[in-house]
Amino acid sequence: MTLDNRKIKKIGIPRAISYYTNYPFYYGFFNALGVEVVLSDKTTAEIIKNGNKYVASETCLPIKVFVGHVVNLLEKGITDIFIPSIQSTGYKINNCSKIRGLPEIIRNVIDKPFNMIEPTFDKTEKLGFKQFWVESAKSLGITDKKLIKQAIESGWECYDNFRMMTESGINYTTALNNALNGICEKKNIELVKPISVVIMAHGYNLFDERISLNLIKKLEKMDIKVYTSLNIQREDAINALNELDETQYWANELDLTATAAHYLIKNKIDGIIALSAFGCGPDSLMVDEIEHHAKDFGVPLLHLNTDEHTGEAGFITRLEAFADMLLRKKRQKLKNIEPEKDDLSQTEKQKILLSVK
Amino acid sequence: MNKSKEKQFYKERYAQQDHSIATKDRVVAWPRMGNIDLSMGALVSSLGAKIVMPPQNTNRALEIGVKNSIEGICLPYKLNLANYIMALENGANTLMMFQAPGSCRFGNYTKMAQKTLKKLGYKFDMCVFDMYQSKMKQTLEAFWHVTRCWNPYRYYKGFSTGFNKAFAIDKAEKLMFYTRPRELNKGDAERCYKKWYEIIRETTSVRECKKLKQRVIEDFAKIPIDKDKIVPTVYLLGEFFVLLDPYTNQEIEKTLGELGIEVQRQIFFSDWLEHVLQPSIFYKKESHRQRCVRFAKDYMKRAIGGECLETVGDTVFAAKNGIDGIIHIMPFSCMPEIVAQNILPKVSRQENIPILELVLDEQTGKAGNITRIEAFADLIKRRKIKNIKENEEENAIKK
Repeated sequence: MTLDNRKIKKIGIPRAISYYTNYPFYYGFFNALGVEVVLSDKTTAEIIKNGNKYVASETCLPIKVFVGHVVNLLEKGITDIFIPSIQSTGYKINNCSKIRGLPEIIRNVIDKPFNMIEPTFDKTEKLGFKQFWVESAKSLGITDKKLIKQAIESGWECYDNFRMMTESGINYTTALNNALNGICEKKNIELVKPISVVIMAHGYNLFDERISLNLIKKLEKMDIKVYTSLNIQREDAINALNELDETQYWANELDLTATAAHYLIKNKIDGIIALSAFGCGPDSLMVDEIEHHAKDFGVPLLHLNTDEHTGEAGFITRLEAFADMLLRKKRQKLKNIEPEKDDLSQTEKQKILLSVK
Repeated sequence: MNKSKEKQFYKERYAQQDHSIATKDRVVAWPRMGNIDLSMGALVSSLGAKIVMPPQNTNRALEIGVKNSIEGICLPYKLNLANYIMALENGANTLMMFQAPGSCRFGNYTKMAQKTLKKLGYKFDMCVFDMYQSKMKQTLEAFWHVTRCWNPYRYYKGFSTGFNKAFAIDKAEKLMFYTRPRELNKGDAERCYKKWYEIIRETTSVRECKKLKQRVIEDFAKIPIDKDKIVPTVYLLGEFFVLLDPYTNQEIEKTLGELGIEVQRQIFFSDWLEHVLQPSIFYKKESHRQRCVRFAKDYMKRAIGGECLETVGDTVFAAKNGIDGIIHIMPFSCMPEIVAQNILPKVSRQENIPILELVLDEQTGKAGNITRIEAFADLIKRRKIKNIKENEEENAIKK
């Protein structure tokens, strides 16, 4: 068999787990290698049901969704699927076991024959970033070092564009579409809204519209400004964590604790919303950690747990109650600043709220 | 951060030691895990520190733990925290704990416990030794910090007695597992084990401790057993703490032994001690972990933390060595074991070995589990008898 025959022309990427934060890089990299990327469909009840069929009942929702997406790709006729194992992102800064063992789970729960591209990224064992991509390219049948280097560069370009756009405040979907199309635009006008919250959640929970039940859109409809982990820079997140005297233990701690910590310290928010999937191990610790600090800062925290049965109505009620509480709290705070302007009409109060912001 | 700085940072990450407590005032305590208190007690007391043992894990301990910890954390943490609280109430002021960062939530235990205990208003010094970086040095440093003992003989005595006690008690446990399903007078093995537990705890001299293991073997040999009885063997696998703690696993070994099944446990504290504390140059044998990597390689290609790899590797090993069944136990929401839970059905199918999954949490009723264990016991017994009959028939045809 010659090298050319082994070359894989099409690669499937499940729309779950690392897709949500790293997809621009994957897209840039594989496109530069000349490999077509095929995505699975967006998460639906059907996909969750399919995933549920294969894995043990105790497994957390994101993994069930991931398995569902792999099944979806197989149904589409894709036989080469990209399932990376991201073990650790720094020395002894590990991911959750289930994400580390994604290829192991998929290998053993799905019986159909397919080819898995399973590179390992493990800083603890000194399996670095470059090796990760060399390994992936090798299993695609590409060993040309120059080409791989170019592909990594174009991956970075795409990813950097994406991050630059999200950091300037463009919403996730638009930023992703722009990055994939090679557009880079900046939005410098910050909308001022009466209250603002930060959501601490894994990208794969928050940006999956089915799992998060459109949380961001719901909040924006209630006229609440939403900050997410994509809005801040990595360095800022690490600094914020250090400032709170915490050490990073989980690989995705920057998405959760550090993001919340950043906004807490900067005093930019009125409340924190934690969104986690039921039975998530790292989340149980990280939410507790930030709850502890939020109490010191006097910022309320709402912990939302989702699983495959979460009803939308209950979700909305809790969000509305939380938003009302935040608004009342803010109003009280403003009252204390200017007690003489106590009896004002609703619109005037709104104006004050806006001007203070 | 450059590289050396980064390393230094991670080294100091958990080393927050408090020097305000005078050495002579120190009262040491550590959480319960299996028979760890025998060895730790021998070591710490030979170095001259006072000890407070937290009471045995009971429902009350669990209640305290559940009350003071968050909802989603795993069961071992709740019990550990309860142990700390109970020990602190009994006058302890120095808490010892080992940890292994980067495995699973286990690496965060001490950090969380420290915070919670401080919130509750206790004053204490938490002494942590990290199992993943320079094992022996870390351990020695931790004990030096607690006891300030200069005398090398005391260290020798402590480690020697501690190790020998661990080996003796584990041997006694292994022999009890072997004897219990075969004993002629019910309860003999259990009584013998309890007797030796007391003897091992009370022995203090180095020379006596070295003889303990041999004496245990000789004493167990005296118990009358039925050697021809057909006894199916079961491997007990799963999470480390649950395996070693009789309260959490609801004395599953006893239940199985009384049903006439021999239990073999792959994880023993002494094996682990031997592996973890010895510098890797002196460790010539194939370690348990290496064996697991070898056997699990068809199913898993990388370690993912916790004991997942061990569980899968041992299952394959068991299937290839004529073991009749596997019982896989785990605390609720244990991350690495959930991965194992996903892998095991395929192993069971391909290697043709029955597996029973038991998930333990604070609410598990014992009756439900016993029903499942009994059904499983019946299944493997029938399977074993069937296999023996088939073998006999085959042999008869050959003749």
